[in-house]
Parts: sequence; structure tokens; C-alpha cells
Amino acid sequence: MTQTTTDTDTTDDVTTHPATSRRRTGPTTSRRPRKKGLIAAGIAAYLVTFLIVLPILWIALLSFQPSDTILSDPFSVKTLTFENYRNAIAALPLVQMYKNTIIVAVISVSVGAVVSFMASYALTRMVFRRRRAQSSVRFYLLAGLAVPVYVLLFPIYRLDLALGIFGTYAALILPYIAVSIPFNTLLLTGFLRDFPAELEEAAIMDGAGLFRICWSVVLPTMRPVLATILIFNVVYVFNEFPFVSILINDPDLATVSLAVSKFQGQYTVDYGGMMAAATLVLLPQLAIYAFFQRHVIAGLTAGAVKG
Amino acid sequence: MGSTMVWVSSRWKIALMLAPALVLFTAFFVYPVGYAIAYSFTDSAGFGAAKFVGLDNYVALKDDPFFWQSLRNTVVILVVSLVILVPASFALALLLRRRIKGGGGLRALVFGPAIIAPILVGLIWVFILDPKIGLLNRFLEPLGIGPIQWIGGDTLTPYSVSLVFIWSSIGFAMTIFYAGLQLLPGDVMEASQLDGASPWQQLRYVTIPMMQETFAIVAVLMITNVFKIFELVYMLTGGGPVHRSETLVSYMYFVTFTNQRYGSGMAIAVVIFVLGALTSLAYLAMARRRSLA
Amino acid sequence: MFGRNFGSRRRRRLVGAVLTVTSLVALAACSSASDSESKDGKTTITLSMQNPDVKTADPATWAIVQAFEKANPDIHVEVSGQAVAEHLQSLSIAAQSDTLPDVFWVYKATAEEMLDAGKLMDLKPTLDDLGITEHLPESTVSNFTADDKIYGVPYQGLLTGLWINKKILADNGLQPPTTFDDLVNVAKTLDSKDIVTISDGANQSSFSVWSFLVWLDRFGFEEKIDGILDGSEKYDNPAFVRMYEHIAELRDAGAFASNVSTQTYQQAVDQFLNGKAAMLDSGVWASSAIQDSSVAADTVFWNGATFDDGVGEQDIVMNVASAPLVVDHRVADNDKKLAAVKKFLEFYYSDEAQQLLVDNGQPPVTDYEPEIDAAKQSALKSALDVAADPNLSSPRSQPDLLVSTAVSSAMYDSIYGVIQKQLSPEEAVDLVQKALDAE
Repeated sequence: MTQTTTDTDTTDDVTTHPATSRRRTGPTTSRRPRKKGLIAAGIAAYLVTFLIVLPILWIALLSFQPSDTILSDPFSVKTLTFENYRNAIAALPLVQMYKNTIIVAVISVSVGAVVSFMASYALTRMVFRRRRAQSSVRFYLLAGLAVPVYVLLFPIYRLDLALGIFGTYAALILPYIAVSIPFNTLLLTGFLRDFPAELEEAAIMDGAGLFRICWSVVLPTMRPVLATILIFNVVYVFNEFPFVSILINDPDLATVSLAVSKFQGQYTVDYGGMMAAATLVLLPQLAIYAFFQRHVIAGLTAGAVKG
Repeated sequence: MGSTMVWVSSRWKIALMLAPALVLFTAFFVYPVGYAIAYSFTDSAGFGAAKFVGLDNYVALKDDPFFWQSLRNTVVILVVSLVILVPASFALALLLRRRIKGGGGLRALVFGPAIIAPILVGLIWVFILDPKIGLLNRFLEPLGIGPIQWIGGDTLTPYSVSLVFIWSSIGFAMTIFYAGLQLLPGDVMEASQLDGASPWQQLRYVTIPMMQETFAIVAVLMITNVFKIFELVYMLTGGGPVHRSETLVSYMYFVTFTNQRYGSGMAIAVVIFVLGALTSLAYLAMARRRSLA
Repeated sequence: MFGRNFGSRRRRRLVGAVLTVTSLVALAACSSASDSESKDGKTTITLSMQNPDVKTADPATWAIVQAFEKANPDIHVEVSGQAVAEHLQSLSIAAQSDTLPDVFWVYKATAEEMLDAGKLMDLKPTLDDLGITEHLPESTVSNFTADDKIYGVPYQGLLTGLWINKKILADNGLQPPTTFDDLVNVAKTLDSKDIVTISDGANQSSFSVWSFLVWLDRFGFEEKIDGILDGSEKYDNPAFVRMYEHIAELRDAGAFASNVSTQTYQQAVDQFLNGKAAMLDSGVWASSAIQDSSVAADTVFWNGATFDDGVGEQDIVMNVASAPLVVDHRVADNDKKLAAVKKFLEFYYSDEAQQLLVDNGQPPVTDYEPEIDAAKQSALKSALDVAADPNLSSPRSQPDLLVSTAVSSAMYDSIYGVIQKQLSPEEAVDLVQKALDAE
């Protein structure tokens, strides 16, 4: 079982072990096109990425334009200013907002991931007396994906009031966990199905219990999926707007997703402030993604299998 | 799934594993959906006394041209997005999996749009698609292509919304495919290589068949997400001109909160839910049949 | 076997830990929730507004609150706000659970539904008691009266019309228009020079059709509305069709921006402030922004075109009360809060507060005669002069405020539908008629 090879597959061999790969891939004719192919792939990758990133660069550029000319003359780059950032930083309690967001994100994402993992494991690996019950429960959870969030607002507000958690972090945390469950379950059950259970069976033969199977056998192999889930969930919490706008009245509990709406008045919209706030919310998330994807997806999968 | 799993599958263990998710999900999803269904049979304005009106709200949808328009738009977005997004994001995952210098950075950047709140995605694209102040028409102008009504015109808006949706989702879908590729058992891949399979053959006969579930995941997520598109349309056109570019959720929002007809809004919500679930199931059934064939 | 037991014990511990964390969070968060009743012996009242950042977006209200707190050190006004859509959404959700803020801004139609549902306090005794009623225009009081109860007080003035950039007109050899035909001529001339005549934006702001709502009143809306509401008259009538035909005429003359359907109201304003449109469809609230812009010196206020085929009085200016401020019904049960709210209302309609409105670019809502710096507030002065013109009368209310929210959005859609060439005049009136029939 070599998870590592997924990282160093096909074309990678050419660059890392030219000698062995030549022998392995057979006819030498295929070597050159492959190397060329890699260069072509590199160019293509950079090009596509550039196209995808272009609109973001555009927004970043706009955020340095004076608010009153953004709309009438978005192409002028003559007068760039930090004014929008100054306004955004002055108008927004950013430190407090980030603190709130991180508290909410850490708790809801970790609890959501654990809870969904437990359920997904049961729904894919454990043996139900009635198999139909298993797939029914899975569909029950997955059906949540089809529910538009605006349906949830009224009832959850009431539920929060009834539970006495309105005006607290928990008012947001609980719905966020709930919303993450269908998504997490879809990913986890899907990947668990694709992934053979041989290792776990071997572990059971060795006398491992349920917890040890989950913790030391399944979790390490599922790390790329868990990392993906964590990233998506964190991004969700950073951007979620409908719940937070209804369930949080107290400005002291506001999360960063409210930052942008701060600039939309009844008759006035400060587009410059919006762009600047958007950029300020975006950057840390990009950093989080970069961190996760380098250290978690790449690093841990390799490590887990070697170890 | 071997029979050994029976050893760790006592009834209470299964219950314990499922309970937390089921309790939270039922309280925060199933109860609200039941609530919405109940209200869809009333004339509620959101507060105050509500009168039971039976199926009136649903029957009224039949004669509501804006509802049908929003349904048509949603279907257009669904088809365009699925046809382009799923293959494109898979191809991108394959591309970015190759050992390219700075590949990690590229992946982070490609994921960038997925990080941006949908409301801002809409705002960004206003500055690109707007027929008058947008970047796109500025680029086309010197080429002699007249100002095109990408958004706000009669026909193109749903396609433009699809484009924006694809842009905002491609990194998301790519990341899922990427994780799926990481999970492929290495020995199988190696074996197929040793057998002298060309990269294309390997992809066609090994990689894709082994990733059935990943494809299903991406498709289901994208289908359900299309049925939830709201902020993009809201920012790009506000649903206009005269509800012509409305999607199901944006129209539901308009009915529920702008017009304050909570009962009618919830009826639309129920329709959205049913359509989203049915489309996903239909896709899964189709995919299963294809993989069996 | 050992593994199994070991596993399940750990498992239980893990579940226990998860549950503990969850409940701890809930508890910790609960205890941190503030009790807004009284801070250091102060009485707190909550004021919930339609702007997320009241201080910058609604400086008039902010100034009044600051002055009020200064004058009443024992009362704290907790100002909060959200964008209009979220504000209304939060209010209807809060109304359902009876957790409304003490004082809040809300549309008239919604306020009346809340009154019906018993969510609002009757302000009549309070207002009579404080002697405020007699200083408010009669039409305002009757507008906010239902079932013999006064449920709202005027928040700010709704003085609407077109702001005109005289310089653009003069540069193109044009006179400021007075009749509809003048306006069409202006549009034709400016269109040939690629200048927008009337700046409007429908994206997320379909309500920004103020100058055309005045047109409705120039085609007999006031006389017809009661009949339209009880079904004895139709919105689908020849006079209204004629009015929509005039909108189509103006559109065909090239009066509107090519991206009117994708630009927002804010973009429309910026277009005007940057001298790229000759007129702005707006109201007195834009005066501060105009004053701060480079077009301030050239801008005057116009009450809109008159029609020789109109119905009834043509010399009118829309000068009515905007959406009201209302008070949660629970305030009446809390003596301290009630006293604080009374003091707040008394202050809001005092001459001092009305002057604060004017200082921040808003017209007064009482009969107070404000002091205006003609040089520093030229735009506001121009609007107030029009409003005070003895030859002009004002309708009782703006047409969209007399109907339900669903009908008012149909009215906005019908007007923008013709402007954007999506609807013919007949289809436009039909759209509104259908919304009325659905009531």
C-alpha cells in the first residue's frame, strides 16, 4: 500500500527518476513527448490559473481607486489611494470580527467534521441489520444539500430563542454544524466507498476496536479528504451571510462576513470600502488554503503512508 | 466490506456513531423544512395570524410567469454549468497534479474564487460584464464587436450567470477531484503503467472508473448548488430587467422578503427542494446505470 | 477483545468530550450575553435603522441621537442597523417571535401589517400629550393612522423630483424644461451628443423611480386610488396607460443610460455627480452628496414635468413623510422604557432636532422653519424653496406607500419595465392590475 505514489505518479517519474522510469514505461519514444508534455502542461496550468485569477486582481486594483470614480471610470489607474483601506479599517472592528469568526469557525468546523465522520463511517463501513436502513439514513442526511438556506432562517431563529442561545456564539455555531453535515457526509461517504476496506479488516483481525480503527487506520488515509472538508467548512463560515445577518444582533459578536455589507446604506453604497473590506477578508483565507493544501494534503498523506 | 466489520457493528455502537449528526441535522434542518412545508399551505406574511389556504400557493405558481421564467433560467444555468464545469474541473485537477513548479501555489490561486463570498463574486463580475462600464466590452470594442448585453438584456443573462458560477466553483470542484486523485491506490496506477498503458488509456480505463464516487460527489454538489444560486444574480442584475434573469432562489427571496408573502415564498422553496433532490437522484441513477453497462 | 473494549471506552470518552465542548460553549456564550435593560442605572432603548453604518450613511439620525444622549445622560440609545433587505428580513423574523427592537424604521405597508398583528404601540396618546401632533402636517398624521391608532411618526422627509445640472443643459443650448414636451426635446438633443438625460438604476434598486411616481399623481392617482383598492376602479385605465406611453416616449428619445438595468441607484447617483448625466431621479436625501461634489454650484431641484394630457392638478411637488419610525408594543408595558421613548420622541420633533436634520441635508418634518446657509447648502435650499413654493401643492402620499409591498414592487417593475423596453405600456398597467387582483 503506497499512498506516496499518488503524489509521484506518471509524469513525475520522468523528472525524479529518469533512469528507472525509462525502463518502466517501456518504449523510449514516449519519453521525449512526455517531457515536452510536462512543459506544455506547465504553460497551460499557468495560463489557466492566470485567467481564473484575473478577476481577483481586478478587484484588488479597484480597491485602491477612490470610491467616487470606481463606478464612473473603473479603468482609470491614475489616482490610486489607500483611502478605502483606511475607511474600512476605521469603520470595521476587524480584530473583534476576526476573533469571532475564528472562534465560531474552529468550534463549528471541528465538531462538524467529527460528527460527520462518525456518521459517515457508520453509514459506509459498519454492518446494519437492515441494509436498507443504512442507505435511507444516508439519503436523509444528504437531502439537506437541496435545501435553500432561506428556508432555515425563520425556524432557526425561533429555535435559537427557545434554546436560550440567541445572542451568543452558539446561535451561529449550531446551525453551522448542522449545515456542514450534509456536505461533509457526501464527501466522506463518497470517498470511503471509493476506498477499499482491506486495511481496516486487517486491523480488526489484529484485535483493534472501533475507535482505534477510526483513529489510526481510517483517519490517516482520509486526510486529504478531511483537509478538503476543513477548508470548505472554514471558507463557508468566513463567507456565510444569511444566518449571521439574522442571528447576530450584537455588533460585538459580528463575524467578518458582515464586513462587506457594512458599506451598503439605503441610498448610499461605498463600493471602494466594499472592495477594500473584501480584500481584507479574502487574504487570510487564501493564506489558510495555501497552508492547508501544502502541509495537510501534500505533507500528511505522504507521511501517513511512510509511517 | 468484509464480514469482519460485523465485529465492531453492535447496534448501540451504530447508534452512538449516528446520534450526534442525526440529532443536530433533525433539529436544524428537518424541523425547519417541516415548518416551511407547513407555512407553504398558508397565506402568512411572516408574522401575525396565518390562514390555511390549502394548495392555493402552489396553484398560483402555475400561472406566475416570473416563476416559470426563473425555472427556465435555472435549468439553463444547470445544463451549461454541468456540461462545462465537471469535465473542466477534472481536467484542471489532472493538470495541476502534474509536477509543475509552483503547483501548490497554483492550486491555491485556482481555489481563490471559491473563497470569495458569492455576493462579492457578483460584484466583481458586474465590473466585467456590465455592458457599459464592464471590462469585457472594453476589450471587445477595439475588435469592432459592438456593446453586448452580457447582463441585463433579454437573453444572455442566464449564460453569463453560468459563466460566473463556473468561475466561482471550478476551484472548489477541482479540489474535490484533486483529493479523489490522491486517494487512488498507487499500486493499481503503477500496474497499469507497467502494462504499457498510454496516459490516455490509463485515464479512460483506470482513473475515471475508479473515481465514480468522486464524480458523483462533484455532480451532486454542483446540481444542488445551482439550485441555490442567489447572490450572483442579485448582484449582477437584481433579477432584472423585470424578473427576466431571476433564478428560483432569487425569485423566492423576492416573494418572501421583498413582497413579504411568506406562504408563497415557502411554496417556491419546497419546489426548489424537490427539484434539487430529484435532479440529483436522477443524475445518480443515470451514472449508476452507465457504470453498470 | 481487548481492542474492542478499549475502543468503545475511548469512543464514549470522545463523544462525551464533544458534547461537553458543545455545552460549555453554549454556557460560556450565554453568560456573556449582555442584559440591555440597565447599564450603570441607565435606561437603554434600542433604535434599529435601515443603514448598517448609521453614523456615515444617516448622519442626521446619528446627530439627533448624540444630542439626545447629551441632553438625557440617564438614557442610552443603542443604535443598530442593517442594509434595507436584511433589516426588513430581520424585522419580520423578530415580529414573528415578538422580539422587535424598541424603536425602528420600517416601510409603511409592513408597519400596518405589524399593527394588525398587534406588534406596534399606539402613539396617539403620547403624541397628543407631548403636543407633537399639532406640529406635524395633517397628511402625515393621517398617513400613519389606521384603526384610529397612530402607529408611526415621520422619520425624514420624502421630497422627491429631479436634480438638474444646469451647466450641461446650457452647454448644449438648452433651457431647463417645464413641460413633458420640453423634456423630450432635451432628451433628444442630449442623446445625439451621447449624454444621459435622466440617471436611473434598476439593479437592486427598482424603487428608484421617484420622479415617475409623481407622474402617476399627475394622471389622477390620488382620486383613483381608493377605488383601485376596493376594486371599483382599475389601475388598468386609459389615463395610466397614457402615462406609461409617455415613459416609452422618453425612453425612445434616448433619455436613459444604456445600462440602466445593470447599474444600481448608487451608480446612477455617481453618474450625475461626475457630470455625466443632466438629471438625477432622486430626492432631497441626495443633497449632501451633491453639495460635496463638483456639480454642486450648477445643480437645482425640479419638481418634474407637467402634462397637457394629464389628469387633475399638474403643479405639484412630492413632499410627504417617508417611511415611519414605529415603536414595539412591549415598550408600553415597561415604564422606564416608555418614559425614555417618550423623551426621545419629544426630542426628535423639537426645533433643536429638526435643525439638526437640516444641518445634515434633510428637510424638517414638522412645521419648524429652519435656518439654512444658502452658500453651503445650495442644493438643499433649492429643494426646500421648491417645496415652499405657494403655487405648488403636495399629494397626500407617494403612490407606492398607499399599497401593499407586493403591489408597490409591481409598480416599480412596471415603470422600469417600460424604461428597459421589457414591457409595453399596456403590459405594464396589466402587471400592476394583476398584483392588485391577487390581494
